[in-house]
Amino acid sequence: MAEPERPPMSLPGGSAAGEGAPEVGSDTNALEPAPSAAVSPGTEEPTGDAKKKSNFPCFPLSGTVDVLLKAVGDTPIMKTKKWAVERTRTIQGLIDFIKKFLKLVASEQLFIYVNQSFAPSPDQEVGTLYECFGSDGKLVLHYCKSQAWG
Amino acid sequence: MAENEFLEEKTFKQHCAKFIKHSEEIGDGWEWRNSKDCSDGYMSKTHFQTRNRTSVTEQLFPQAEDDFELFSDDSEAVGPAAASEVIRYEYHVLYSCSYGVPVLYFRASFLDGRPLTLKEIWDGVHQFYKARLLQEPWSTITQQEHPILGQPFFVLHPCKTNEFMTSLLENSEKDNRNINYITSWLSIVGPVVGLNLPLSYAKAMS
Repeated sequence: MAEPERPPMSLPGGSAAGEGAPEVGSDTNALEPAPSAAVSPGTEEPTGDAKKKSNFPCFPLSGTVDVLLKAVGDTPIMKTKKWAVERTRTIQGLIDFIKKFLKLVASEQLFIYVNQSFAPSPDQEVGTLYECFGSDGKLVLHYCKSQAWG
Repeated sequence: MAENEFLEEKTFKQHCAKFIKHSEEIGDGWEWRNSKDCSDGYMSKTHFQTRNRTSVTEQLFPQAEDDFELFSDDSEAVGPAAASEVIRYEYHVLYSCSYGVPVLYFRASFLDGRPLTLKEIWDGVHQFYKARLLQEPWSTITQQEHPILGQPFFVLHPCKTNEFMTSLLENSEKDNRNINYITSWLSIVGPVVGLNLPLSYAKAMS
C-alpha cells in the first residue's frame, strides 16, 4: 500500500493562496524551500512519516493528499508519479510545478484532468478534487501537453 | 469507440442535451436556443462577473468618502463602491461544420451596455493562460459574426480542438470511460474566458 520514494512536493512562496505545506522539517525531500505552514485539518501524524516506507494505510498526511500523476498521449512521463500535495494547492500551482519538472516553457500549455475527462479550472484546489474524485486514498490526475487554441 | 475523429452534429446535439440536463439540475443557467427556422441551435448562458476598475478610471473618479455622500442620491454616482465593475458575459456553444467541433462564442458588456473591446477581453483572461495568449493573440480570440444571430461575437479559435479532444477521447476509451464531449471540451476552453464549470459536471458524466 505505501509507496516508496514519495517526496512531498513543496512550492516557493508563490501566488496561490494558502500554500499550506505540512510542518515539514528539514528531513523531507523538498525541491524548494517549504513555505510557512498553514493550519490544516486532519490527523496529527508526525511529519517524519512523510519519508518512511511504512505499512500504514494510505491516508493523507495532515494537510496533504496523495496524488498520482499520469501522462496522456506523448506527454513526457514524470519520473516521480506519486506526490503528497497540499490540499490548498491550486490546479494552476500544480500545473506550474509539472511544467517546471518536465522543463516545459511557460507558453506551452499543460492540462490536468480528473476522471480522465474533465479539466478543473485553474483556481480549483487539490483538496476539493480529492474529496470529489479521490478513491483508494489517492487522487488520480491525468496531465496532457497540448495546444488548445491557435 | 469513436469511429470518427470529428464530432457529428447529431452527436453534438445529444451531448448538449445531456449537458443542459445537468445544468438544469444544478441551476447553472444553460439553455438551448433554436435558430429562427429551427434547423440549427446552440447552447447559451449569461452570467455576471465583477472586475476591478483600471487605474485610469480611478484617476478620473476620485473615491473619497466625502464625495460618495455628496452623490448618494445620484444614481450615476461613482463612489468607493464602484472600485469594481460588473460585466455581463454571454456564452454560446455552436457547432462548426467546417471544423467538425463545437466552438465557443462569447460577448461581454458593461452594465451600461458598452461592449468590451478585444483588449478589455484579454485583460480579463485568467493569468494562467496569459503567456500562451500573448504569444499568439490573434489566432486565439478573434471577433466574428455569429453564424445564427449575425451579430459580432468573440470566438475562441477552434482549429486545435479536434487535436486535444482526440487525445483525450482516446485516453478515456482505453479505460472504458464515458465522456460527454461538450462537458470535457468546455471544461478545457471555458476557463480562458471566465467560464468555469462546477465539478458536478464531471461526476454527471461518469
